[in-house]
Amino acid sequence: MIARIAYAFREMWASFRRNLTLTAAAILTSAIALLLVGTTFLIQRAFENLLVQWRGDVEMIVFVRSDATPEQITLIGDTIKSAPTIIDVEKLQYLDKIQTYEEAKRIFAGDPVTLSLLTPENIPSQYKVVPITDDPALVRSLSEQYRSLPGVEDVALAEDEFQVISTLSRFVRTVTLVMSLVLLVVAVGLIWNTIRTAMFARRREIEVMKLVGATNWFIRIPFMLEGLLQGLLGAVVSCGGLWVLNSAWNNGVAGFKPGTGISSLVVPSSYLSSVMVILLVVGAVVGAVGSAIAASRFLDV
Amino acid sequence: MIRLDNVTKKYGSETVAVRDATFDVAKGDFVFLVGPSGSGKSTILRLINRQEVADRGDVWVAGRNVNEMPDSRVPYLRRSMGNVFQDYKLLTNKTVFENVAFALEVIGKPRHMVARQVPIVLDLVGLAGKEDRFPHQLSGGEQQRVSIARAFVNRPLILLADEPTGNLDPATGEGIMALLDEINQTGTTVVMATHDHRVVNAMRRRVIQLDRGVIVRDQERGVYE
Repeated sequence: MIARIAYAFREMWASFRRNLTLTAAAILTSAIALLLVGTTFLIQRAFENLLVQWRGDVEMIVFVRSDATPEQITLIGDTIKSAPTIIDVEKLQYLDKIQTYEEAKRIFAGDPVTLSLLTPENIPSQYKVVPITDDPALVRSLSEQYRSLPGVEDVALAEDEFQVISTLSRFVRTVTLVMSLVLLVVAVGLIWNTIRTAMFARRREIEVMKLVGATNWFIRIPFMLEGLLQGLLGAVVSCGGLWVLNSAWNNGVAGFKPGTGISSLVVPSSYLSSVMVILLVVGAVVGAVGSAIAASRFLDV
Repeated sequence: MIRLDNVTKKYGSETVAVRDATFDVAKGDFVFLVGPSGSGKSTILRLINRQEVADRGDVWVAGRNVNEMPDSRVPYLRRSMGNVFQDYKLLTNKTVFENVAFALEVIGKPRHMVARQVPIVLDLVGLAGKEDRFPHQLSGGEQQRVSIARAFVNRPLILLADEPTGNLDPATGEGIMALLDEINQTGTTVVMATHDHRVVNAMRRRVIQLDRGVIVRDQERGVYE
């Protein structure tokens, strides 16, 4: 068993070094493809941060003053519920101060100045309103009505901030996703081709191996390891690139005035790490599978 | 040990390489397959080691039907036979020792066993002391000896040889034949395809003659004619 494992790694390494140019091309392509995949994840997450308040068809948020009395809070809720033909009462959601504060931590993740001014005591609580009607004018007139209620600090409407951003986010997401998928296919193709070239260079050796009774798996595994290594190295390079990109982005965003909303486009570093793990896994799997397919077709004689 | 039962093999739809071949090779036999180029000698060897599958009829090796064997079992079939070729099929980037060891390594034999077996078999074929040479540093006869060592190192039941003397001068060819004879004496069944009159006539073993894919003669202690 140990002899077999040692053999597989020796062969992988020898073949890896023999085709350095092709190997470098395969690694770079997979790196770029995976970098784009990673960027897509980050962009998506950044937009999500921006839109986190508006999740689940919420189109109107009624902010309640932090010093409002419980009676005032109840009154606001009852008023909203009194228009069941316009408002989806089932989906009406009240976030108390603690919950709002949790949400704010995400919105202001990249804006510590604003965040530091907020505490669970001074933050407004909020009603999240999902309308049933398709008529924005009706929702807008309701918002005017709520604004005059005692204890209401402000009413925010989705159409004001939300729609441009969500359209933009959808567009950017589609473009980056398509591009990264195309590049990923190219990367698989290049890894496939590298392995095929490696196998062609060693066809005599493979022929002898088959004649003396080596199993197909025994022949295939070093090539799969080689593909896996290529994919993995590509992923490591892309992780580095992603880290650089993200740092540059964060530095750029930090230059903006606090409270402009741009600051919520920063993703937490824990999310960045999990994206990196995903990239490493995808790179390894894509490399191994690509070369397994290439090897199988070659062994089919 | 080997039995062919009405075996027919076609390449494409028209070329018939072997037609209705039937013969039996007992354990420890030495058999020559003779006939001109293209008469089907190599195809029969390739049917026995399952590089080809018969279109009709059955091929039996050591009690197993080779035709119906699933692909996953083929490597284990091949471990019971060694192959020797006219062009040696040595790996040029490996030394004599490594070429022979390769046959054991790729079937997963542990290193200590490789280290023990390879020198024994190299000694047997008369290459002791040339372990570290590369194939291009050897004569044709020596290269063929390496190839025989590689085929025999796993102590197979059967040795298949396809024109092993084809590229060698008569004297060197005789040496190779003496070696194959010696291997046959250990109980290994040898099937050798050849169109070399001299070696067939000198050995006086069983001869199966082919003509355009058909067996036209099967004779004990035969000559080439």
